[in-house]
Amino acid sequence: MVSDQKSRRLETGDWRLATNKMMNLSINIGTVKFANPVTVASGTFGHAEKYYNLEEVKKLGAIVPKTVTLPAQQGNPPVRIVETPSGMLNAIGIENPGADGFIQQKLPGFKKIGVPLIISVLGHTDDQFRQLAEKFNAVDGISALELNLSCPNLGHQVLVAQDPQATFRVVSLVKKIMNIPVIAKLSPDVTDITLTAKAAEEAGADAISLINTFTAMVIDVETRRSKLGNFTGGLSGPAIRPIAVRMVHQVYKTVKIPIIGMGGIMTAQDALQFIIAGATMVAIGTANFINPRAPLEVLNGIKEYMQRKKINDIQELIGTLNSPVIR
Amino acid sequence: MASIQDIFKIASNDKLCPRFYRMQIDAPSIVKKILPGQFIHIRVSQGLEPFFRRPFSVYRAQKYVEIFYEPVGPGTKLMAKMNKGDTIDVLGPLGQPFALPPKGTKQVVMIAGGIGIAPFLILSDCLKKKKYDLILLYGGRTGGHVYPMKEFKDNGVKVLVATDDGSKGTKGRVIQLFSKVKMDPGTTFLYTCGPNPMMAAVQHFAGEHHLRGQAACEEVMACALGACLGCSIKTKSGYKTVCYDGPVFDLQEVIFH
Repeated sequence: MVSDQKSRRLETGDWRLATNKMMNLSINIGTVKFANPVTVASGTFGHAEKYYNLEEVKKLGAIVPKTVTLPAQQGNPPVRIVETPSGMLNAIGIENPGADGFIQQKLPGFKKIGVPLIISVLGHTDDQFRQLAEKFNAVDGISALELNLSCPNLGHQVLVAQDPQATFRVVSLVKKIMNIPVIAKLSPDVTDITLTAKAAEEAGADAISLINTFTAMVIDVETRRSKLGNFTGGLSGPAIRPIAVRMVHQVYKTVKIPIIGMGGIMTAQDALQFIIAGATMVAIGTANFINPRAPLEVLNGIKEYMQRKKINDIQELIGTLNSPVIR
Repeated sequence: MASIQDIFKIASNDKLCPRFYRMQIDAPSIVKKILPGQFIHIRVSQGLEPFFRRPFSVYRAQKYVEIFYEPVGPGTKLMAKMNKGDTIDVLGPLGQPFALPPKGTKQVVMIAGGIGIAPFLILSDCLKKKKYDLILLYGGRTGGHVYPMKEFKDNGVKVLVATDDGSKGTKGRVIQLFSKVKMDPGTTFLYTCGPNPMMAAVQHFAGEHHLRGQAACEEVMACALGACLGCSIKTKSGYKTVCYDGPVFDLQEVIFH
């Protein structure tokens, strides 16, 4: 009977605790409040109405569409993806319709869903970042701007997020323009992630997203060629999760701004690791390709965990990593 | 969050010939909706190996959704071990179906290589009522890649077979069978599915003889929902996703490598 009631509560989304107090899942990035901490990582979420149940999508804390560049990009030549143990490599190359194309063709559909939108942008130069910021600052209905400083698939010799000075410069110039929160998405392909995180914070970033993918390679030994048309690709999925959790925790100890944690989250247990390590928000990425229901399962699992642990407010959970027990 | 994801029971999973298996999935919601050329995307493991789902053209959709596969990779080898009654996580139906033959078509020629035969049984199920002359040209590597074709023959399809080693039918590639069929450009429509070099040969032949047709393409897929853009192929109008824009394209539209 008790479990019946519990399961009914789960289904109806009534998250009252035994004490009759409502559970608070809301979090803030800068001045913007999100109803819950679960979002999707850029480039992993489509919203084709014929395939998605929009009523379910509405339950997410935010949506992050695929990264937009200033001019349209056709993307990299196939083969663009390859599976690896517990993960995958992708070298899509930010195929997108460009900022104007996105604003005209895609943004209205995303707005219609009614979930806060975090728009991910990537400039190949400082001036492109400035123009992208100006375009999206002039558009209504966007909750935050995420700067993709860390795509490994575009032939750049050094990523913005591999250089603390460049990170500071780009974030500063975008911050001067935007009226909504600015998020810096960092690369894990660095020796010390805290340096770029610190640079982003000092430049005024309202939050940090981490991690993007790791540059990686898979070789077909029969042909002795890379399996990807782009030679290298970005490794994502559960294979990178323990590194991502470590980096989130390192950054949490270094900066005061919120962290959007991501990297191989498949389940609520995975997401909880990130939250305990210090992430205010969590993004589901590659899991969307394997289990399109993953973001909702993660959200429901976080609620179940909080109920089980009698935690009223998600804030009471963020960054609460205990010291190890020494045996 | 995909409205088309569900868990179904496997109704049967049998070897049809030395190389190919057929799995029947009890998925009435998919049977009701699926059209020839569309596919389903199967999670073959609840664990992380293999990591991606696997896309399969639907072979037949009458009582069950049927797929046709050759256990060659880690995913299909796991599938071959599944049993009647096991459950399976399926996304579908997905992708653009075959178009009906244009007005004036009298003869439909289906050109298949290996496992590429899969979408043509459901296509012939749909076309048999329409009084076309249905012809299947099938190319397999060996006799082990050829199965009895009874279901095609029951649909009134004339079947011609070629094998690379000559162990069944004509020795050589499927392209060798073209000379055995009279194809009038005004009244013939082609459908093809198979390895890219074979479809490139079909495209070339069709171009030279002014024959119209459609090709069902294959590529490694991650999401199958048009989100990741991982399965893009080159077409005359830029990169297109096999999962969402395809898998069926105009035969002359695709740029085969």
